[in-house]
Amino acid sequence: MEYKIEKKPAPGRDEVEVLGDTFEEGKPEGEDVGKWRQKLGSREDKLKYLQNGERYWFSEEWFGSEKRKTPA
Amino acid sequence: MAEEKAKSIDNASLKMIEKAAKDGVNTAFDRAEAMKPCPIGMVGSCCKNCSMGPCRVPLPKSLEETPEDKRKRRGVCGATAETIAARNFIRMIAGGAAAHSDHGRGVAELFLAVAKGEASGYELKDEQKLLQVALDWGIEIGDRSNNEIAVDIGEKALSEFGKQEGEIDFLRRAPLKRQELWRQQGVAPRGIDREIVEIMHRTHMGVDQDYKNLLQQGVRASLADGWGGSMIATELQDILFGTPAPVLSKVNLGVIKKDEVNIIIHGHEPLLSEMIVAVSQDPEMIELAKSSGAKGINLAGICCTANEILIRHGVPLAGNFLQQELALVTGAVDAMVVDVQCIMQSLPDIAQCYHTKIITTSPKAKIPGAVHVEFDEHNAVESARAIVKTAIEAFPKRGSNIDIPKETTDLVAGFSHETINYLLGGIFRASYRPLNDNIINGRIRGVAGVVGCNNPRVTHDDIHVTMIKELIKNDVLVVQTGCSAMAAAKAGLLTPEAAKYAGKGLAEVCETVGIPPVLHMGSCVDNSRILMAVTAMVKEGGLGDDISDLPVAGAAPEWMSEKAISIGQYVVASGIYTVFGVNWPTLGSKEVTDFLFKDMEDMYGGMWAFEPDPIRAAHLMIAHIDKKRKALGIDKARERVLYDMDMRRELDAV
Repeated sequence: MEYKIEKKPAPGRDEVEVLGDTFEEGKPEGEDVGKWRQKLGSREDKLKYLQNGERYWFSEEWFGSEKRKTPA
Repeated sequence: MAEEKAKSIDNASLKMIEKAAKDGVNTAFDRAEAMKPCPIGMVGSCCKNCSMGPCRVPLPKSLEETPEDKRKRRGVCGATAETIAARNFIRMIAGGAAAHSDHGRGVAELFLAVAKGEASGYELKDEQKLLQVALDWGIEIGDRSNNEIAVDIGEKALSEFGKQEGEIDFLRRAPLKRQELWRQQGVAPRGIDREIVEIMHRTHMGVDQDYKNLLQQGVRASLADGWGGSMIATELQDILFGTPAPVLSKVNLGVIKKDEVNIIIHGHEPLLSEMIVAVSQDPEMIELAKSSGAKGINLAGICCTANEILIRHGVPLAGNFLQQELALVTGAVDAMVVDVQCIMQSLPDIAQCYHTKIITTSPKAKIPGAVHVEFDEHNAVESARAIVKTAIEAFPKRGSNIDIPKETTDLVAGFSHETINYLLGGIFRASYRPLNDNIINGRIRGVAGVVGCNNPRVTHDDIHVTMIKELIKNDVLVVQTGCSAMAAAKAGLLTPEAAKYAGKGLAEVCETVGIPPVLHMGSCVDNSRILMAVTAMVKEGGLGDDISDLPVAGAAPEWMSEKAISIGQYVVASGIYTVFGVNWPTLGSKEVTDFLFKDMEDMYGGMWAFEPDPIRAAHLMIAHIDKKRKALGIDKARERVLYDMDMRRELDAV
């Protein structure tokens, strides 16, 4: 996902970059209702998601019930 | 006098069956009534594989078969009733696996053309799935463009069909223990086409005459379907058209609109239909429709092409298999566009009673009396435009005999296994853990896949809906595909509100997550998504090491096609207990039936069963789920004890 970066004044410094909100605003409408894959923007994000979200197949080591087993 | 069986539980269908009778239209319901099934063929006791026959080897009418009777039950070539039943059964698997897999091949061919930039109008919509398949197949990603990666994927997919040795590559997605089991049993498919061809060879006169050996080849070909051809179709369609996510839509004949050009899309392959969806939204086409007196263009679907465009675009469902003729009977369908599989040859005859154009689009599936507009992947937009124009031209020719049932029901569909994973944890914690935890804690008793066709030999939709209601009432989460999902949709079971039909535990989970108790996962090739979901459950942990350890079951209670048998066999061989209704095609041989119903449990951990009564079938599935829960040690609620310091010390001392 694309992170929002906001610039805010900071004591003793002019402006600093602060990470903005990372939640979705309200209820999605139109084409986006129910869809979620567009949240993964770059190829790097998508590959990271595969390693984590789809870790059952793509984590670097075997996952869950198969972690302790030798590869078939 | 025996009570007459109702034709359907769906009011819209009943109204159209009545209208069909008034209009002089003959439907599958009438034909089924007029022609009883052949009792010998129905149980697999007829062999017509050579011209010394056909040979009929029916069971004797007496209850017990004597050894003498058994010796006599042979074909002219000497084939026993066992060989004949097994041959017939695995030829059904070959037919089903060929249908799904040739669908997969068609998708792969289009996919490759798109990747090479040779199919205008299409694009690679889901990069995420592209990368997923590339990782699966060891295709280099690096800094290569999506099209470069896709060319390799397309070529690899096509090579899976003609592979001669080794194993099909998606087999490696299965749990490790399952893969080992398939290798031990000698049923890991080498290539998709090879296993289907080998069935046709082995069942030729005078080849394989050991029913167990024949049935094992049936297993191998079915696995080439589920973990091969079907899975390739699903995955490549997702890359081309998008991986399904929840979408709201409607179902039943009431989605047909009186004042718009109605185009019904019917069949199984979404390749052209995707383009028709796009073209029907083209302002130029809408203007053309308006110039013909219509208010717009209305698309709706029948069978699995409908499911494909539903789960990706929310295009409404006009109905399932037995409603294809009834949709025409409304008199308001301007064109019915068909591709492949489950298309009745009666459609052009019925269309003659109205104004409807039946348009065939596949060179593999032509019907006399239909207009043929061939799908050309290199010029798909033009094919789609020609079809939409034909429908628009038909609109002003409508007769006065129009009656569209009002019935429609809301539904939510699009639960791919990736989306279930996401829904249970979000982008950062996507996981099957909540599902496994709720199975372990007993809120969810287990998971059942209820899939398959309609069959006019039983009351339309009734068996599906009765079974599903019984399962969810007993806290069994139901996942669905195909015409079965449409039956559940019409009964209102595919909305979160259907939690009211669910048991307390399942309802709690559905309300918390915001999902229906019955999840629509797609078309019949998308049964491969169910294989992936159960594999994720295994790999998540806590429910055993293999699919056969899970508290899950499958069913096709209104099945009719060879594809259903192939699906059932790969589900069984993947370790899942599977109950079929209507009739069972090996009852002519006790040995073959016992092998499928009993021996397969020892071999694969999953086995077949036959039970036409939906409540009894649901209870067979629940009993199996309970058996698995017991084996896992999660059949009883465990007392929760809060340990104090003394108790902890005592524990440490042990």
